[in-house]
Amino acid sequence: MMSLRWTMPLLIMAVLMSCFAIIHSTHASRAYYADLQRLEGTHWYLQEDYSRLMLERSTLASPHRIAKMAQEDLIMRAPDLAAYRTIVEGAY
Amino acid sequence: MARNRVVPVPGMPWRLVIVIGLLMVLAALVVGRLVLIQVVDQERGAAFLREQGAMRAVRSAEIPAYRGMVTDRRGEPLAISTPVITLWADPQILRDSNRLGVLADALSQSEEQLQQRLDLYSDKRFMYLARHQTPDLARRVLGLKISGVGGKREYRRFYPAGEVASQIIGLTNVDGKGIAGLEKAYEEVLHGRVGQKRYIKDLHGDAIRDVGVVREARPGQAVELAIDLRLQYLQHRELQRAMVETGAEAGAAVTVDAWTGEILAMTNHPVFNPNSRSAFDYAATRNRVVTDAFEPGSTMKPLTLVAALETGAFTLDSIIDTSPGRIRVGRKVLPDPLNYGAITVSRVIEKSSQVGVTKMAQAIGHEPVLSVYRRFGLGEPSSIGFPGERSGSLPNRERWSEIEKVTLAFGYGLTTTPLQLAQAYAIFANEGRRVPLTLLKRADGEQPPVERVISEEVAQQVLTVLHRVTGSEGTAKKARVPGFSVGGKTGTVHKVGPSGYLPDQYLALFVGVAPIDNPRYVTAVVIDRPQGDSYGGGAAAAPVYARITDGVLRLRNQRPEIEAETPAQLASFGGGQ
Repeated sequence: MMSLRWTMPLLIMAVLMSCFAIIHSTHASRAYYADLQRLEGTHWYLQEDYSRLMLERSTLASPHRIAKMAQEDLIMRAPDLAAYRTIVEGAY
Repeated sequence: MARNRVVPVPGMPWRLVIVIGLLMVLAALVVGRLVLIQVVDQERGAAFLREQGAMRAVRSAEIPAYRGMVTDRRGEPLAISTPVITLWADPQILRDSNRLGVLADALSQSEEQLQQRLDLYSDKRFMYLARHQTPDLARRVLGLKISGVGGKREYRRFYPAGEVASQIIGLTNVDGKGIAGLEKAYEEVLHGRVGQKRYIKDLHGDAIRDVGVVREARPGQAVELAIDLRLQYLQHRELQRAMVETGAEAGAAVTVDAWTGEILAMTNHPVFNPNSRSAFDYAATRNRVVTDAFEPGSTMKPLTLVAALETGAFTLDSIIDTSPGRIRVGRKVLPDPLNYGAITVSRVIEKSSQVGVTKMAQAIGHEPVLSVYRRFGLGEPSSIGFPGERSGSLPNRERWSEIEKVTLAFGYGLTTTPLQLAQAYAIFANEGRRVPLTLLKRADGEQPPVERVISEEVAQQVLTVLHRVTGSEGTAKKARVPGFSVGGKTGTVHKVGPSGYLPDQYLALFVGVAPIDNPRYVTAVVIDRPQGDSYGGGAAAAPVYARITDGVLRLRNQRPEIEAETPAQLASFGGGQ
């Protein structure tokens, strides 16, 4: 008889607690979802930046541009055979 | 009250009784259905309710997948996808908007144009406003918050190397599917798998929240090519220069690493810009290195030499009398430019003497020559799996006339692609072993499968002769590379027209191996219809070979044979202690 008297409030407590737990976890799930959305957005922007920068870099580093700059701005040229030196790995 | 009258009392009109009865039956049906769904068969009932709810609120959307990058062997991007936004509209909502002018301005379209398109699609729920817009512009348009206008994330393909590698890389269509070149060949690897997610929408169709990912989007994988962009650029530059100098219409060049079978560079003329779709010529998208087969002419003579050496009937020093500088075969007379007299087999190849090769061919017959051609991979597609690749052809006859046997030995009656020429000469450079060609970079230390095709001795003898071709007595003095010894063979072939060989249209060919004392790099050059007097392989194609090979050897860190001073004097230069 004693146990029955205590069981009821205990169960009610448990139900209440699980109610709050549900509220909490629903809220957490919303928050996480918002985070996910934001991160997906960031991911997209970063990828956009990354591929744009890759393109920019390959434009700046294009062999055509480098050859032009080397020859015209820096007045560079391929060395004559007489000026060639080969440094062999492990020779020194 | 009215309710009291519902109670059936004697004297109530019978029609009212029927109506009340029917209404009660309907009510009972509804209640019964509710009980059935919610109490009796809970499982099915719940599923039913959920499905009905989902039908009204849950929609699915695509998650775009990134298409894999194509890079050269050093990681330089050759094809790369960047995010873009495609703007679309729901015409049934947009047509009532009073802000069409603002929208048209933002899209840089005229309002009338937009109105016309809206009218055209007035009975549809979807139309494109502008595809593949930069995210900046698209955000500005979407920021106007005009109802009925939406944005969809997509990817657009860019080709940083532009025309330099355009035919190899190929193209994707507007939906991001490979339609030419490697984009097509490696579609399975490159294309990502589009994902799918489900979200809950509100009354207006706007997403409120995602309910889950049905299928994860999987980005495509990157493809790393054997191509070296620096060599590719260099080859492209030299080929374009040759087009200007010779006045030729088209050309192709390919450089192969004979030890690994990797294709280091492959270029064509004419070219197209893959980044600008508005105006291009589909003919220019052809990768001639693999799609154009032609008669290889004199470039086959080293292979005939292999056949002659293998039979044992000839050595490099056997003497062949080529006087009087012409020979009659059947009804045809084959001339040499001048009477070379009695010369060695080696000199026959150096001078590319028709008479000499004819005598060799008559002595050994056509079978050994055909056998060498087959072993060298002619008449069969290479292993690179390029879309539209031609396999060329070898003659397959029941009966061989005398002239057919002879012309086979100097490269007529069969067709090859430039790539097959490079592949064949790579066998000489690889001590007689054949390595399958590849456009993909081999992993460090990967041992490609090799197949012995000819003996090391024969390969070495042919290399000796190829080197002499670039010597003072040979036909390809212009193929010489300063600081290195190279070898190769010229070819000058009549082009074929609708009614036989064209008298004044030629293909100038050169295939070379470098450096000759440690052969590794094979380059084939084809110049289609050079104009003027310098139309021959030695005059039109050999200089191109020399300039390409000069760059190849430098960029691949080959040590020149000739150096002014001993390296020891440089000890201090390297920061030695």
